Amino acid sequence: MNLPKFDYEAPSDLQEACEIKACYGDRAALLAGGTDLLITLQKGWLAPSRVVSLERLEELKEMAGFSAGLTIGARITAAELAESWLGTAEQVLSEAAAQVGSPLIRNRATIGGNLVSAMPAADLAPPLLALQAAVVLNRVGSERVVDLEDFFVAPGEQVMQPDEIMSEIFIPNLPEGSGGAFEKLGVRKALERSIVSVAAVVSLDGDGKTIAGARIALGAVAPTPMLAGEAADSLIGKKATAKNFAAAAKIAAGEARPRGLRTSAEYSRLMVETLTKRALQRAFAAATA
Amino acid sequence: MKKCHITFQLNGATTEVLVAPNQTLVGMLREDLGLTGTKYGCGEGDCGACTVLLDDEPVNSCLVLAAQVDGRKITTIEGLADGDRLHPLQNAFIEKGAIQCGFCTPGMILSAKALLDDNPDPTELDIRTAISGNLCRCTGYQKIVEAISHAAKDHSSPEEKS
Ligand code: FES
Ligand code: FES
Repeated sequence: MNLPKFDYEAPSDLQEACEIKACYGDRAALLAGGTDLLITLQKGWLAPSRVVSLERLEELKEMAGFSAGLTIGARITAAELAESWLGTAEQVLSEAAAQVGSPLIRNRATIGGNLVSAMPAADLAPPLLALQAAVVLNRVGSERVVDLEDFFVAPGEQVMQPDEIMSEIFIPNLPEGSGGAFEKLGVRKALERSIVSVAAVVSLDGDGKTIAGARIALGAVAPTPMLAGEAADSLIGKKATAKNFAAAAKIAAGEARPRGLRTSAEYSRLMVETLTKRALQRAFAAATA
Repeated sequence: MKKCHITFQLNGATTEVLVAPNQTLVGMLREDLGLTGTKYGCGEGDCGACTVLLDDEPVNSCLVLAAQVDGRKITTIEGLADGDRLHPLQNAFIEKGAIQCGFCTPGMILSAKALLDDNPDPTELDIRTAISGNLCRCTGYQKIVEAISHAAKDHSSPEEKS
């Protein structure tokens, strides 16, 4: 249980936190929920000179709906997301949040931390990719907005600069008649890193049958969470039928780039196909509910 | 490494500690404060032996820095009994034989307490979900689930007992 030596700071607002990051960069590790960082420190994979707790940053704890969409503070926990009703499409995020780690982990793990850690199997990345989310990155005197699909670089790597702090996640509003669903495959129900996860969001035309928009995102089957763009595009203008969903699921399986680390690549693809079918079916059901 | 001066509520008492910045919450409870009811198992959030309530929510105290609890409220297993009177969950665990080696018990009971405080009438699935972050290598869980369900019934219908 021994952690390396570091100094501890708990700035009182985002401005102060950004100033510390401006000064120390990578030598200052940001602490949000701690469910990743404390393990990283313990294993000696990271040896920062200081740990900067975001505990007191109330502005990162806000969730608000606007006409354009929904903003979720980076410190909102998985438990809070799991318990929130966000909408028929946005429930894809709540469903995924309800499956993060364990209840104990969910009470601490944050949405921002889940993204910043950039793990290929991060539970909250596929739903947010499917919802076309963007993240807001702050530094002293400026902020930038990055689409989540441009955020992940490699396992454990994303585009953030050493002086940046993620403050919030933005989810644009989807048209009426949209639904979302999340499917995760693991060998057990708690404390499991996904073997494959799939998030699907579909938007229906006024007729309630034709697909006007679709997004499918995959977790744990590529070096980063990824969108299955061709699979989603194949559905546009088509009827929401089991046959069309099955065809799209097959395309998604082809788009996956599993490295065959935890299971064979072939198995991963088969599971992408199965879970995509299920996710689309349930997303459709949510859209018509 | 500058030590951190923190003040927090520990089992109902205001507590001040000068703690090393790299001390974990479980480390402070066990080593600095001598409260060894909170167990240390994996140190990685996998076993739940270190479960405590942080502002009434169960968390893995091995994944929290001691310095982070400044201004917060912590409940450990030592804070459950009322003098000599055990908490209904503690009684239920004893009565139902839900304790074998006992290593998981403090964490189990705190996860269960958080559940019952929120939801006095849980289903079996609610109970199993609530303790899904707490591993037990002895009991096979069945008796733990029974004990929690028993404590819930005890709690929710006191009139039946009188
Ligand atoms: S010691 Fe904290 S979860 Fe195992
Ligand atoms: S009683 Fe031994 S680990 Fe649960």
